[in-house]
Amino acid sequence: MPLDNNNTDAGNNILSVSGLKKHYGAVKAVDGVGFSIQAGEIVTIIGRSGAGKSTLMRCINRLVQRDEGSISLCGTEIANDMSHRQLCEMRTKIGFIFQHFNLVYRLSVFQNVMHGRLGYMPTLKGILGRYAEEDKEKAYDIIKSVGLEEQLYKRASDLSGGQKQRVGIARALIQEPVLLMCDEPIASLDPVTSRTIMELIVSQARERGIACLINLHQVDFAREYSTRIIGMRQGKIVFDGPSDTLTDSAVAFIYEGDSQHFSEADSAGSLQKEEYAFV
Amino acid sequence: MSDSDYKKVPAELIKQRRLYAATIAFIAVLYITASIQTNYNPLRFFFHMGSFFDFLVHGLLPPSYKLSEGLGAILAQNFGMALIPTFIGGLIAFCLCFFASYSTAPNRVSVKIVRALASFQRNLPSSVWLMVLVMAFGVGTSVGLMALTINTLGYLLRGFADVVDEVGNESMEAIDSVGAAYLPKLFQCVIPAALPGFISWLLYAIEINIMSSSIIGAVGGGGIGMVLMSHWKLFRYRTSFGIILVLAANVIAVNFISNYLREKVIK
Repeated sequence: MPLDNNNTDAGNNILSVSGLKKHYGAVKAVDGVGFSIQAGEIVTIIGRSGAGKSTLMRCINRLVQRDEGSISLCGTEIANDMSHRQLCEMRTKIGFIFQHFNLVYRLSVFQNVMHGRLGYMPTLKGILGRYAEEDKEKAYDIIKSVGLEEQLYKRASDLSGGQKQRVGIARALIQEPVLLMCDEPIASLDPVTSRTIMELIVSQARERGIACLINLHQVDFAREYSTRIIGMRQGKIVFDGPSDTLTDSAVAFIYEGDSQHFSEADSAGSLQKEEYAFV
Repeated sequence: MSDSDYKKVPAELIKQRRLYAATIAFIAVLYITASIQTNYNPLRFFFHMGSFFDFLVHGLLPPSYKLSEGLGAILAQNFGMALIPTFIGGLIAFCLCFFASYSTAPNRVSVKIVRALASFQRNLPSSVWLMVLVMAFGVGTSVGLMALTINTLGYLLRGFADVVDEVGNESMEAIDSVGAAYLPKLFQCVIPAALPGFISWLLYAIEINIMSSSIIGAVGGGGIGMVLMSHWKLFRYRTSFGIILVLAANVIAVNFISNYLREKVIK
């Protein structure tokens, strides 16, 4: 993606978001969110269901249209009025991993992974599914690295939950993205599989130098796997700091809104003061 | 909770029960008025049963298969009259159905327009379409085919659009997120997922058209129905009965094969 010279961001910002707002009717799903992600960061967003985590992610790659705010990827503004072609080009740079895997279940593992290249192909080749040989080889390498080479020509519907998510990961990786967004990637999986999938996502992201933004429900996983944690409550960011500064009381505040423990969390110095009215 | 609490039936539940009772009463009244209006007596069949069976035994049996037209030829024509409207209607429905599903249509207006068109084509039976077309083009097999095609397109378009709706947004969202353009999304995601549904509807259309093509023939659309009617009008009841039996066997065979194929495809 060409770098925009007019940008005011710091040089190695992969993603920066500011003043992002999105409402559905009277509900403010995302209410003035701003943050940025540097290369190599693994950021998890925690918060209750309905805190706006999913909407935030979908606003970033414009699966959902935002109301206000600006977003830029590698310094290039993701404008609301960009052409569809530009939008597609931008989306190829963001891998997206879904809670429900979102595969085409009648197709094989290999076909599903190849879908990740569709954004790079001319329309006619995309329609016919004529992928380049080198893309296919890359896909095979990635399928091997997520451990699905035995399932290559199996139908996606015949896979287990964990295997389906591996396909989802492979499809995102073959895009060769600069940013990987994972929307509750382990929420549909059992605890053991969850761990292996989280490890896979994080190790692949590190290996390939992809910045990672992960929505999670599991606070302990967030602490373990991420370099930084963002806490969201009612559409606002109420915590943003390195994962080891997330205290139990801060967690309580993010999830229960327990203001009694708030002073303690505040002393950790990581709650965003300007975002929060109680301070 | 006190002992008598279960007696306090919620008001909505009582309302719902009354609604059921009112609905049943309404249907009964409708049935009685309709019977009076159309002079329909359900017992009449039983009063005249004797003459009916008399006719069955002496008029229709044994069926005769001596046809100047050749049984094989008219059967083949009947198949043709079922397949051609299905193919043409299916092809047009395939092209239009993406404009009739909210998940793939460019805008909501196109959904409304295409669905209204399909509903109009579907809600007039093919025999009515035939009458309209006969006025314009005269009788004949090609007019019969046209009438069947219009009707087939009507319900295939609706069926295909529903199948596309059912593909669901999840996989489409994923294809959008990789940056695929619209047409690759259709061909790589929507169509593979919808294909069994499409095929199932096509098989259903063949089943329906095998039956409708015989009725179409009787009112001037050619095919097996025309042959049947010409014998019927000459009081050749045994030959007519022979044709009816062949037609029935044909319909049953097609349904059987179609069900078998559907099971194979949907798996």
